[in-house]
Amino acid sequence: MTTAAQAAVTHRTVGTAARAQAVSKRYGQGETAVTALDQVDVDIERGRFTAIMGPSGSGKSTLMHCLAGLDAVSSGKIWIYGRDGVASELTAMKDKELTNLRRDRIGFIFQSFNLLPTLNAAENITLPMDIAGRKPNKAWLDRVIGTVGLADRLKHRPSELSGGQQQRVAVARALAGQPEIIFGDEPTGNLDSRSGAEVLGFLRRSVDELGQTFVMVTHDPSAAAYADRVLFLADGRIVDDMAAPTADKVLDRMRQFDSHGHAVHDQNQRGDAAGQR
Amino acid sequence: MWKASRRNFFAHKGRLSLSLIAVVLSVAFVTGTLMFTSTITTTFDRLFATTASDVAVSAKADKDALPGAPEQTVSTSVLDTVKALPGVQAVYGDITTERLAVVGADNKAISNSSGGPTIGANWYVTPHPAVNLTSGRPPAGPTDVVVDADTAAKKHLALGSPLRIVTGTGAGTFQVTVSGIATFRTTNPGETLFYFDTNTAQTKLLGKTGAFTGVDLDAKPGTSDDVLKAEVSAKLGAGYDVKTRAEQEADGRNSVGFIGFMKYVMLGFAGISLMVGAFLIINTFQMLVAQRTRELGLLRALGASRRQINRSVRFEALMLGVIGATVGIAAGAGLAYGLIAIMNGVGMNLQASDMSVTASSVIAGYAVGVLVTLLAAWVPARRAARVTPMAALREAGTPGDRRASWLRNGIGLAIAGGGAAALIGGAVNGATATGGLLLGLGVLVTLIGAILLGPLLAGVVIRVLGVWMPAAYGSVGTMAQRNALRNPRRTGATAAALMIGLSLVSGMAVVGSSLVTSATSEMDKSVGADYIITTNGGLEITPEVLAKAQATPGLAHVTENKFVNAAVSDASGGGKAGGTIVISASSPTLTQDFDAATTAGSLSDVFTKEGIAIPAAEAKTRNATVGSVLNVTFHGGTPLKLPVLAIMSDKTVFNHGDGYVSLDTLGKSLPASAQPASELLFAKADKGRQDQAYAALKADLAPFPQVTVKSQTDYKQLIHDQVGGVLNMVYGLLGLAIVVAILGVVNTLALSVVERTREIGLIRAIGMGRRKTRRMIRLESVVIALFGAALGVGLGLAWGVAAQQVLSGIGISTLAIPVGTIVAVFLGAAVVGLLAALAPAFRASRMNVLRAIAADG
Repeated sequence: MTTAAQAAVTHRTVGTAARAQAVSKRYGQGETAVTALDQVDVDIERGRFTAIMGPSGSGKSTLMHCLAGLDAVSSGKIWIYGRDGVASELTAMKDKELTNLRRDRIGFIFQSFNLLPTLNAAENITLPMDIAGRKPNKAWLDRVIGTVGLADRLKHRPSELSGGQQQRVAVARALAGQPEIIFGDEPTGNLDSRSGAEVLGFLRRSVDELGQTFVMVTHDPSAAAYADRVLFLADGRIVDDMAAPTADKVLDRMRQFDSHGHAVHDQNQRGDAAGQR
Repeated sequence: MWKASRRNFFAHKGRLSLSLIAVVLSVAFVTGTLMFTSTITTTFDRLFATTASDVAVSAKADKDALPGAPEQTVSTSVLDTVKALPGVQAVYGDITTERLAVVGADNKAISNSSGGPTIGANWYVTPHPAVNLTSGRPPAGPTDVVVDADTAAKKHLALGSPLRIVTGTGAGTFQVTVSGIATFRTTNPGETLFYFDTNTAQTKLLGKTGAFTGVDLDAKPGTSDDVLKAEVSAKLGAGYDVKTRAEQEADGRNSVGFIGFMKYVMLGFAGISLMVGAFLIINTFQMLVAQRTRELGLLRALGASRRQINRSVRFEALMLGVIGATVGIAAGAGLAYGLIAIMNGVGMNLQASDMSVTASSVIAGYAVGVLVTLLAAWVPARRAARVTPMAALREAGTPGDRRASWLRNGIGLAIAGGGAAALIGGAVNGATATGGLLLGLGVLVTLIGAILLGPLLAGVVIRVLGVWMPAAYGSVGTMAQRNALRNPRRTGATAAALMIGLSLVSGMAVVGSSLVTSATSEMDKSVGADYIITTNGGLEITPEVLAKAQATPGLAHVTENKFVNAAVSDASGGGKAGGTIVISASSPTLTQDFDAATTAGSLSDVFTKEGIAIPAAEAKTRNATVGSVLNVTFHGGTPLKLPVLAIMSDKTVFNHGDGYVSLDTLGKSLPASAQPASELLFAKADKGRQDQAYAALKADLAPFPQVTVKSQTDYKQLIHDQVGGVLNMVYGLLGLAIVVAILGVVNTLALSVVERTREIGLIRAIGMGRRKTRRMIRLESVVIALFGAALGVGLGLAWGVAAQQVLSGIGISTLAIPVGTIVAVFLGAAVVGLLAALAPAFRASRMNVLRAIAADG
């Protein structure tokens, strides 16, 4: 699978879908202040699958939340780029604009509790468009539903679906609105390995076949191996950037973090991380 | 365990706060009512204690006398007779009568606007007077009057103010000036009091010399009241009421019986709001238990027994009840204080310092608050105890869609069916009494049925009621509707709380508007009189008023109506025992003015022959038909043998259950001087002169503010206003129950928002704006409130229609559905829904998206 993923990367046009510039995020004040992100600069490429990894507390989820407009930064700037190349600065937006941005241009897949229990699968899938009052593109919707293999489950309520099926509905929802970028927060974290592989396979195909941009936070090396690129975070900084990852390479890299989750600086990793992009 | 319960209680104090308010409101209403009424009782007791004589003598009370009958008196000789008794220290001849009207310079009555009596009394000096003269001098001649200070202040009377006194005696109307002002030594219980010198009171107010309405005696030191009473009774013999101070005080307490009635009415409404509050408490505890399922499972896993869990929930309820009752009792004292202030405002004179916080009202407050809370928490506590230790391990989620159980629905359907059968049975039952009983049973049972069926109905009705929401608001509407449906039991209980108040409102509204419509149509059908002249209580239609009316130009005739009790029995002496009926004795022109419906015979025969018309119920009791001869004894008169000439229909709002004779027939039994005065006059104008005659009649009767002249149109309006006034009072009292029900809606929504924190976080994350989030909560609230209104109006209409059918036996023959009120109930419910959603919707829209998604369960 890794080889297939690698092969797919090569013939995609690479542009920028999102950019973070000197983004810092601090919680608390004074003595007790915690720095979750420390002057992070990163570009997310369009039409590619990016994984963000790092030990607990490294700031990986915070980075994703900030990129997705769910959380506010303490300093720095974040832009989302439209398909036409027009930049929108998230860090300058008010709540209402951010809400609309999330609704119209961003898709989400959470670790669990992705679906509203009162709505059936089909209604959950079209919810962001319904909220916006837009008609879904029927052909696209059918294609998405076909891709995730849910055609016979559309009338079921979430409680009547398995965990894997629920996550596939969530993937379909994220894809249905043709967002510019989809964020996943450990989307397979609650699934067994077979269901997880299924969902990741769909995500990979959506990148390859539908040209979707996908950013995923994970702590699972085999999940990260589906990505085109892996960003490693530690102590709120990007410490490494790995292209064409495999599960083994990722696992190796992860082992270099010490037991407290801090980056180990005795090798030449520091220079690598700083030099990348 | 206690520690866990206590911690839980305070950890959830925010979520319990609305339940607490409900307990506080209900308890405050109960204790406030009790404290208020006991304050009034204390005040009156004090008043009687200071003013009562040791022993009082009066003519034997005449229970069968109707308003308008001559005042009963004792002669001066009684005074002389008792004076000589050994135990008597002093004797006073007392005159107290309400048979007067006092008119100010502007032709307006000097009276208490809240309905307190206007009393004329004679001035005499005792060691224990009710009043002290505070300015001017005592009344000394026929033009002097002393007025009480409260009335003087309110009506701007000063020494020298001219007043006109209207009486029904030969004295007619006479002029006086205020010679003095007297202040109550204790408190004025709402009376408008005028003192005359004894001679004026006798000749002008009573219309006879040498008479008093009663004699007061002071006992010699060492003679007890009971001993003196025995002496007096022995000396005077039968024919007199002799009462000790204690007996007078007891009488006084009974005479303010309206306070007792008011107390029960208010406690009844407090009970309703308490019941509504119980729903709120049940819902709160159900939700708290559901939210804590994992925690309870953990406690069970750690070895807590079911009993301990059950007890811990009940302990929380106990704390809620105790705190709520304590605050409620304090609030009740405040409420009582406010009521006292209001009563003072409308003319009573109560002292807030008299307010008695009695042990019984405090005990009642705690009993009610704690018991209701514990009962309401009973089911949730049992449910908490059923949580298994496994629950601790399971993924916590929002409580599942608990479908209303089949058992509950089955029982609910059976009960509702039984109640409906009782309602229908009552409606078709001919006898009003049996029908009324079935109606009451039906109302109670259908209410219970509707409460049980709430969850089932929620599913059906909300689907129908909310059908416009997805169309109008898209996915926001869909989600709101489904959220309202997802826990039918909770929605059902929330709406049922609202239903209780609204069903009573709409039921009363149907009965009220049916009464008005029926009375109006009966007036159209049977009342031929152009004008109706009634008294405002106190003084009857005096000869002067009658003469003025008869002399008014443009009137074709004036019909007198005197009401008198009559004992009737079979002339043969056999058959049923005698009964008492109210007889309207009228002028022959009555048939032109009031065409009362008969079931047999003709009412006009009563005025052409000597005979009687009796009500249908009486005819049925004694198997009398037209032509039967009855022994008729008018109250205070000689017996007559009268043939039955007509049988009056019972289906009438006016003069319901009355019989009729002509004034001539009455005169054969009772001399004119002993007859009661007219209570009601009908008048008819000459053809084509209706407007002039009405104006002339009004002008001629203007100096007599104790009577009111109404045209048919005005009289209809009066009925409309009176019924409206009663309904408004009932609505006002139901307001408390409705406020508690609104708190219930707020409570349910607030807890639902907390429960759905993650869902709200999710929809916010995927792009639902704050406004739409708020709208979603608001729509859910509105649909729950509308559901409550639909249940309430449905139930209320059923009750109202059944009640009208039952009451058609006593003349409420036309069913009128008050469309305006029903529309108002629905609109009101929608507004209630919007208001109830304000805080929960705000909270939902302000949630931090990330924290909401990460929230536990």
